[in-house]
Amino acid sequence: MLLSDLITTLLLICSLPFFLAGTLGLLRFPDLYCRLHALTKADNLGLGLVVLALMIQADSWQVVIRLLLTWLLVLVAGATVAHLIARKAQQDGHQPWRR
Amino acid sequence: MSVVTFRWSRFILRLGGCLFLWWVLTGGRASSWIIGVPTIALALWVMEAAPQTHPWRISFAGLLRFIPYFLLQSLRGGIDVARRAYSPRLPLDPQIIDFPLNLPPGPAQVFFLNSVSLLPGTLSADLNGTTLKVHLLDHKIDPQLDQLETRVAALFKCSLRGGDD
Repeated sequence: MLLSDLITTLLLICSLPFFLAGTLGLLRFPDLYCRLHALTKADNLGLGLVVLALMIQADSWQVVIRLLLTWLLVLVAGATVAHLIARKAQQDGHQPWRR
Repeated sequence: MSVVTFRWSRFILRLGGCLFLWWVLTGGRASSWIIGVPTIALALWVMEAAPQTHPWRISFAGLLRFIPYFLLQSLRGGIDVARRAYSPRLPLDPQIIDFPLNLPPGPAQVFFLNSVSLLPGTLSADLNGTTLKVHLLDHKIDPQLDQLETRVAALFKCSLRGGDD
């Protein structure tokens, strides 16, 4: 087993808990705002680790840039959509959950 | 009406960017340029024709300083929210705070809004004029938004309103 394969495997394994955390947060967190936190931050980190793992396996640097662009687009889309949903919720008067 | 000026330096930069992007996306296959060339021409035309309300520049040094900071904060943010999602006690104590924005309207502000949502425990919820409502997962979190704002201002080469008044 090559060292690069080992690093890829490790990164992919590390990404799994974050994807799971995103979904777990979506199910467990008490209100819309908290769920948005889980979806944006945990999934972005999970995807970032997957992208990093695949970059190591890339044959050409065009693939590396393509992977990087994929991550950046998801990052921008995720943050923008989260903001739009939160803004709509604010304007509709959704009160955040309090302990 | 804004005055539309044609600048060769800007045009060549955009052309180069488009050619590079297409080449990266298609792997440089010769047949792909049949679609690529008209698409790039159309994109360049749209960029020239669309009115630019907020001209902006990015500082290269600011970008180099922002990337590691952003990656580290993303990592911290992901770990923080994952820890809360897994914990049986569900350690959340949310609060909405008002943050007075000092960045000028335009791309810098949009960039700031999106960055806030990727930092640990903060989510940009609503923008009213110059006041940003930020949702905190836990009111004990120190959001460090001033620091982020300074970094974004350095990245976009703009000054913060509070600073030079």
